[in-house]
Amino acid sequence: MSNKLSSSVPTDREVVLGILNNSEDALNRLYAGYFPMVLQFILNNNGDEDDAKDVYQEGIIVLYNKIKSGNFELSSKLKTYIYSVCRRIWLKKLSQQSRKTSNIADFEDIIAVEDEVEQHEEKDRQFEKMQSALVHLGEPCKTIIQDFYINNLSMQDICEKFGYTNTDNAKTQKYKCLQRLKKLFFQS
Amino acid sequence: MRNEIELESIIEDYLNGKLTEAEATAFEQLRLNDPAVDHKVVSHKVFMEAMADYAEVMNLKEKMDAAHAQIDVNTLSRQLGPHPSFIVNIWRKNKAAIGVAASFIFLSMIMLYSIQQNTEQIGKVELMNRDLAKIKTSTNSLIRKINSNNAGANRNAKPANYGGTGFALTSNGYILTNLHVVKDADSVYVQDSKGNDYKVRVIPIESQKDLAILKIESDSFTPLPNLPYRLKQNGVGMGDEVYTIGFPKDGAVYGRGYVSSKTGYNADDSTQYQVGIDVNPGNSGGPLLDQYGNVIGVISAKLSQVDGATFAIKAKYIQEALNSISKDSLGKSATFNKRNSLQRLSRNQQFEKLKDYVFMVKVFK
Repeated sequence: MSNKLSSSVPTDREVVLGILNNSEDALNRLYAGYFPMVLQFILNNNGDEDDAKDVYQEGIIVLYNKIKSGNFELSSKLKTYIYSVCRRIWLKKLSQQSRKTSNIADFEDIIAVEDEVEQHEEKDRQFEKMQSALVHLGEPCKTIIQDFYINNLSMQDICEKFGYTNTDNAKTQKYKCLQRLKKLFFQS
Repeated sequence: MRNEIELESIIEDYLNGKLTEAEATAFEQLRLNDPAVDHKVVSHKVFMEAMADYAEVMNLKEKMDAAHAQIDVNTLSRQLGPHPSFIVNIWRKNKAAIGVAASFIFLSMIMLYSIQQNTEQIGKVELMNRDLAKIKTSTNSLIRKINSNNAGANRNAKPANYGGTGFALTSNGYILTNLHVVKDADSVYVQDSKGNDYKVRVIPIESQKDLAILKIESDSFTPLPNLPYRLKQNGVGMGDEVYTIGFPKDGAVYGRGYVSSKTGYNADDSTQYQVGIDVNPGNSGGPLLDQYGNVIGVISAKLSQVDGATFAIKAKYIQEALNSISKDSLGKSATFNKRNSLQRLSRNQQFEKLKDYVFMVKVFK
């Protein structure tokens, strides 16, 4: 039953409400619902399954940010929106890789989503900066920062997890790590 | 160092709204007074936002990866990926275009078909025209055939051969027939119903129509009783029942039909009737009579390819032909009979009366 539900495409309203409520089920159904469409597009336009996954996930992120920002209006079908965004993202990637972008095989209607995709690219740059900064930060700093700031662990938890003798040491360590991370992030 | 760590934890608490109102006010005062502190607050805020975004995206990606793991990508790829077959590929990529093209082709074919239908009809008309042209030539050839028959008969040296039919215009031996029957003849004879042959002379007349007047020259000819029929020049309508007497063979043959058109072979040829009647070579020059025994025309030609489409020269032109003969040569009985003694007779009684006035015309060339 749940399998059947997850394989069926949710209605546009369900998706929007689900995303606003952080519903994991809504995300799963959304993801499963439109992935074949994007996969078909990518596969038929010089891409492979991994490209499809990357592009599709970026497209979903764009949709997420759009819905979360509160100014999402269902001016078109969600399907058309997702297809258009993913198409735009993939064509940009193709041209960046100097791969053939002419003679695009299309399967759905398209709407103009250039602005959204550009906004997303800006955000994506920030994301990549952070990602690369974290990678360069190295362990144990990376884990400490992620545990504290992303996983919301307390200093006490971190202290125990990393075996610091007291929380002050942990705090000092976290402070040093953060300073280095900030430096990496802002300088890159 | 310790101060720095303290400061940062205060900044974090401040940004997270964890400071008390008094502490927050004091801290904001510090920010205003110390640009270095303010800068730290701003940059920390930007950084934390970037971190939050990063965390959110990472979280989302994690969930999506989980969702992705549920999907059987390989199966989907086989279904949706470029098909090894070029045709299927083309079909998939251009479904819509092919659909449009197909419907366009379909419509074009319907249009072409209907155009073809139209042109087919036009074609048929043309064909019909050609047929008519053919018929025209065969009408002519029919007439020639009569002539050539005669010529052939002549070579065979048969003493007598029919070429057509004639009927009495007057009681004193003037006979009307078709010009094409006697044209270019060396000698012309007529034979009456009793089998008597009389040599006749072709009287030159001024007529554009296919008419000829013969005059019996033989002394053995005894003038006929008054003509039983009269010329009926008007009041003939389509569908009127008509009949004719002619000599397609060595004896008189009766043929019955109806007026099928008041115009001749060409629709604008008002000098002839078209008659639905079966005639044969030899009928040419025979009288066309209506059911009351009025002569309404002279049988002159038929369409060889259309059964029963015969043309008869209208009685009006018989009168014209008659008028063109000088009054002297016609004699007293020149005027056509005004009375019609056949009117109340049955058909075979009419025929009995008529047969003496209808002659077989024999032509030698």
